[in-house]
Amino acid sequence: MLQLTQCEVISNIPVRVNYDLENMKTIIGKVVILGHQGVGKTSTCTRYVEKTFNRHISPTIGASFFISRIKVLDDYVKLQIWDTAGQERFKAMTPMFYRNAKAAFLMFDITSEASFNSMKNWVLELRRNVEQPMVLCVLGNKIDLAERRVVSRDEALAYSKTIGARYFEISAMRDQGIEIVFKFVAMELLRMSTKNSSATSLKVYNTENVNGVMASSSELEATDIGNEEIVNMSINSIAHGHTVPSRCC
Amino acid sequence: MPMCVLNLQRSYKYMMYATKQPSLRINQADLKCKNGCGFYGNADWNGYCSKCYRDHLGFEKQKKQGQAQLEKQKSNAFTKFEEKKKHQSDKKSKFLPLFRKPSNLKELEKPHRNSDLKHSNPDADKLMAEFMLTFGQLSESLRHDFFKYIQVFIKRIQTDINMNKPIEDVTEVAQKYYNTFNNGLNTSSTFKDLPSDVRDQLLDFFEKYVMTILFSSLFCPNSTNDEEKDLIIQERIRKLSWVNAHHLDCCISETSIEVRDLVYTAITDLLGMDSVKAPLDKLNCVVKCCRSVMEVLQHCQGGPASADEFLPALIFVVLKANPARLKSNILYVTRFCNDSRLMQGEAGYYFTNLCCAVSFIENLTAKSLNMAEEEFDAYMSGQITCVSAWESALVACEGMHQLRENLNILKDLSQRTTIVQEGSKMLREDIEKFKNELNETVSVVMERTPLVIKPRKSPISLNPHHEQSGGATDVSLRKHDFDQSEPENLNFYHQNLEIGHLNDYTKENLQLDITPCTLIAENASTISVEPTPEDHSHNSFGLSKINYDIDFSDFSGENSMVEDLTPERISLNVTPDPFGPLGTSSAIFQEPLVPLNTSLNVQEKTDSAKSKQQYVLPLVEKLETTLLDEDETDIQNLPSPMKPMSSYSGFSKQGLQIPSIPCNTGDISYLNAHSNASTSSKDDS
Repeated sequence: MLQLTQCEVISNIPVRVNYDLENMKTIIGKVVILGHQGVGKTSTCTRYVEKTFNRHISPTIGASFFISRIKVLDDYVKLQIWDTAGQERFKAMTPMFYRNAKAAFLMFDITSEASFNSMKNWVLELRRNVEQPMVLCVLGNKIDLAERRVVSRDEALAYSKTIGARYFEISAMRDQGIEIVFKFVAMELLRMSTKNSSATSLKVYNTENVNGVMASSSELEATDIGNEEIVNMSINSIAHGHTVPSRCC
Repeated sequence: MPMCVLNLQRSYKYMMYATKQPSLRINQADLKCKNGCGFYGNADWNGYCSKCYRDHLGFEKQKKQGQAQLEKQKSNAFTKFEEKKKHQSDKKSKFLPLFRKPSNLKELEKPHRNSDLKHSNPDADKLMAEFMLTFGQLSESLRHDFFKYIQVFIKRIQTDINMNKPIEDVTEVAQKYYNTFNNGLNTSSTFKDLPSDVRDQLLDFFEKYVMTILFSSLFCPNSTNDEEKDLIIQERIRKLSWVNAHHLDCCISETSIEVRDLVYTAITDLLGMDSVKAPLDKLNCVVKCCRSVMEVLQHCQGGPASADEFLPALIFVVLKANPARLKSNILYVTRFCNDSRLMQGEAGYYFTNLCCAVSFIENLTAKSLNMAEEEFDAYMSGQITCVSAWESALVACEGMHQLRENLNILKDLSQRTTIVQEGSKMLREDIEKFKNELNETVSVVMERTPLVIKPRKSPISLNPHHEQSGGATDVSLRKHDFDQSEPENLNFYHQNLEIGHLNDYTKENLQLDITPCTLIAENASTISVEPTPEDHSHNSFGLSKINYDIDFSDFSGENSMVEDLTPERISLNVTPDPFGPLGTSSAIFQEPLVPLNTSLNVQEKTDSAKSKQQYVLPLVEKLETTLLDEDETDIQNLPSPMKPMSSYSGFSKQGLQIPSIPCNTGDISYLNAHSNASTSSKDDS
């Protein structure tokens, strides 16, 4: 379990909010992607970029950094995706990347136990260095290789629960469940900004109730669920109609 | 509370320089604040956490102030003296600006800097021009407000610097002002109505303006040891020059020329960072560099690059570039670039990557390069001095480059050779063709003009008979063609000369009988091609001499003759070359013997006659004259050594005969009569 050190401070760090001329809220949030080398960070990004930015992104710029603008109801959420180098030797440098990040994708490869363990280390690092509230998403990639699965869904879910993260299973190759992850993050950030005024902690949204749904759902169903979430913008119904109790503080 | 937030934010910023970050395995305890408060400490803050460092600073300051007060009280008597001394030292330091200490110069520098700002700063003018260009259309009040903000900012920062505040405080103040200005942009009545992108531009320009003005005092400030850090990292990179792309698991192919060029571009961009002043401009340089690196990667692996490949590549570029004042630049940007810009966006991302790269280089160990400790140490200490792959790649590339250039040159050369060869082939063909044509024409001519070859009576005799010599000339003509290039064979040459005269005569004779003169001219020209250069020069010499002689005759003789002579001259030019020199040389040999004026006189007659006669070609005329001359030379003798004999080379033969005849001195009346007679005869005919 993580201890939040300065709860009252957190509520004072606003997600940067800009007001456009149309008085439409635009929230800017930085999202880092962490994970062992070869788990598919870049292909996930590339897949997402290809799908949504085909028209805008110049092919010369790599997929290591890009901005995605997602509309959630009446508001825009601008996600800045920062890809990080996954090599062990660069691990010491990663904190530079996730400072001021509002959300983090923690990726592992479901066919590799090592990547799952190294992901756990990432989380520890993250916890040690970031005192802000952060939206955490655990992503199990490569579900297209289900027959070679090593990390079970239950195991991943259980772990996600302990760190207070949301678990998703995706396939960068088959382009499954990627968009929903981004949309989820966008919504979470929006909620963080709207809930700033209240004293409630924004640190983590509980995943307790997700457990059952995710465990029973196939990968494709997960996508459906994601879509459903987006339609339901009520804060309370985000986790499938259940109130989400705050985890920390 | 806001202070606390600020602290937190700053601490993230400084995290990247914390010793705990880069080193791979360090105890948690090492990282904690020295004060034991539980937060993380930082080397830049003497091992304290941000809060404790601040407290510590405040404590120190108080202590100093207390001491100063104590001293003041203690040595009241001394103060005046001390002040005087200080003043003097200030003056001194003014004259020795190299050694000045900022603390001593507080009062002195302030006005100096202000004046600097107002008058003698070329940057300010440039910036002003830029401002007018970009925001010139905005209202006056807005401009006024904008510069008010700027003036306030600059003044505040300058006082802070002059008070020798730690750079962290100055940074905080600057960031606070950025925020204030940003808020002002969003809320104040003057700026509020502007579109958001213009407001962003204004914010950026604000930063650019103030930072360019304050660059000298904020970049690498005296209160920090940035310069030392620069030197350290520079030395470090120099030591790591042996690191190649392979060590870094980076896919840059060092030997490819295209990749090398792209890497050079990236390096140039990175080096450019030191030459611009505003933090945003520096950031732009970093972005440009990183984009080039992305291109390199794309080129190397043929797909979009990911962060896994990007960071090693950037490290490689930094290692090879070894930019000047790298650390100072990074610190400067970190301190004085608007946080909101630095933390987000592409620039922020790439700058973070650069910081990562620098941090990696600083803390690089054997492990991070996946090599044995001993090997790493050996490399570092210089025991193994391998030529780095990059260097050798450069050499190799240079070699390749040279090779390519040489190949190009060779290609060019071979092309030229083929052209030359073709040309020579064509030339040879032409020559062959010409030869055949020549042979053909010669044979045709030979057929048309069959010559009876008769044995010569006496080769050297100067008085051969016309008819007999006619045959001999042909033989000698042929000989002449072959042997003309032997001037030493004077005897033979002499013979030829003589025969040449004869030949001229006989040939013309023959022509008259058989062929039209045009053909002869052609024949002559074909022959004239053959002689060797020596002969040619000989010819020309002879010709010139002939001309000269003719000219002489023109002036010495009667004016009336000049006109008459011209057709002759033409005929001279037409006459075959081989006979030219013969004429001259014959003149040399026979000069005393030739009273050729007779021929001239004869010619006059013939010309006058000819004017009424039907005009034929000069050769024919000449022939006529020769015939006439032959008849008349016996009768009239007008010896005039000045007269040319060249055109009448044929007559030299007769000239030889002439001396034997007694000299009848010029009988012009007869000549006139003769001409008259001829004209009358012409009239009759």
